[in-house]
Amino acid sequence: MHFVTGGAYNGKTKWVKNFYGLTEDHCWKSAYDQTKIPLNVSRFYGDVVVLEGVEQWLKGLTAESGLEECRAIWQSLLGIWRTWESERHERTVVIIGTDITKGIVPMEKEDRDWRDLTGWAYQDLAAVADRVDVIWYGLNQQLK
Amino acid sequence: MAQLIFITGGVRSGKSRFAEKRAASLRPTSGTLHYLACGQPSDIEMQKRIARHQHDRASANVPWETVECATDIGSVASSLNENAVVLLDCVTTLLSNELFQKENWQDELFQQQTKQKIQHDIEKLNERSEALIIVSNELGYEPLSGLVDVYARQLGELHQWIVSKADEAYVVENGIPQRMKGEGV
Repeated sequence: MHFVTGGAYNGKTKWVKNFYGLTEDHCWKSAYDQTKIPLNVSRFYGDVVVLEGVEQWLKGLTAESGLEECRAIWQSLLGIWRTWESERHERTVVIIGTDITKGIVPMEKEDRDWRDLTGWAYQDLAAVADRVDVIWYGLNQQLK
Repeated sequence: MAQLIFITGGVRSGKSRFAEKRAASLRPTSGTLHYLACGQPSDIEMQKRIARHQHDRASANVPWETVECATDIGSVASSLNENAVVLLDCVTTLLSNELFQKENWQDELFQQQTKQKIQHDIEKLNERSEALIIVSNELGYEPLSGLVDVYARQLGELHQWIVSKADEAYVVENGIPQRMKGEGV
């Protein structure tokens, strides 16, 4: 599992495409296109599966459940994705998440909850990931 | 091709000071140091900020030539000396001056055109100068929406473009520059 993070509009997507040499035909699930979290791993194909914009899926979770429950759901999602990945040696799940955790405390409770969950979720993700990169305007810094 | 250096950081991180020192160290003996200031003195706080930067440069024992330029920085290119070192301070104010001078900032085509115009202007400056040093600010790491999101997108894309062209790129934090790209000093 490969976690790619960094601020908004820093070129994370472009970096991932470049790094994995992804052209047209690959499995790319983006939260910016679909609000549903890709649970059904039987629809995954290829060796590299990219899940983009996970912060948006996390936001969706906070609308329905409390923070503790959201985090538990997130951890089981990570489990599902990791299991798919571990079935074959060549497989990698790449998770792209925008860092929204370093700004001013948001006015709205919903935004504060979203931000809190995102911070925890990224910690959980980084803990299980084999590799973590932070992208800064197209340049990567490998943290793990 | 002239050297291109990108320097960013938070407010009061010491990024301008580092940029000025880097500019002075690159100046050829006979060359001019041009300071391209994009800030507009809109209130007293801004006036003080500008005055402090002016004072820093005046006391630096280096011949700075300040050009006030809130928009259309490319228009300065033709008046530059051949071996000038140019410091552009900064992309964030330049972008907001360009993007919000009229009411049409919500128009996506206009947003794209504004970014391309700034890129073109930077190229013009870079072609004419011995070295171009570009100062900017780090983006917010928080949920974005509306006007801030539009601005952040254009700024982020500009930063990516500048970093890809740059020979050196730095983030300055607490007065300490961290080199992200290039061989450095």
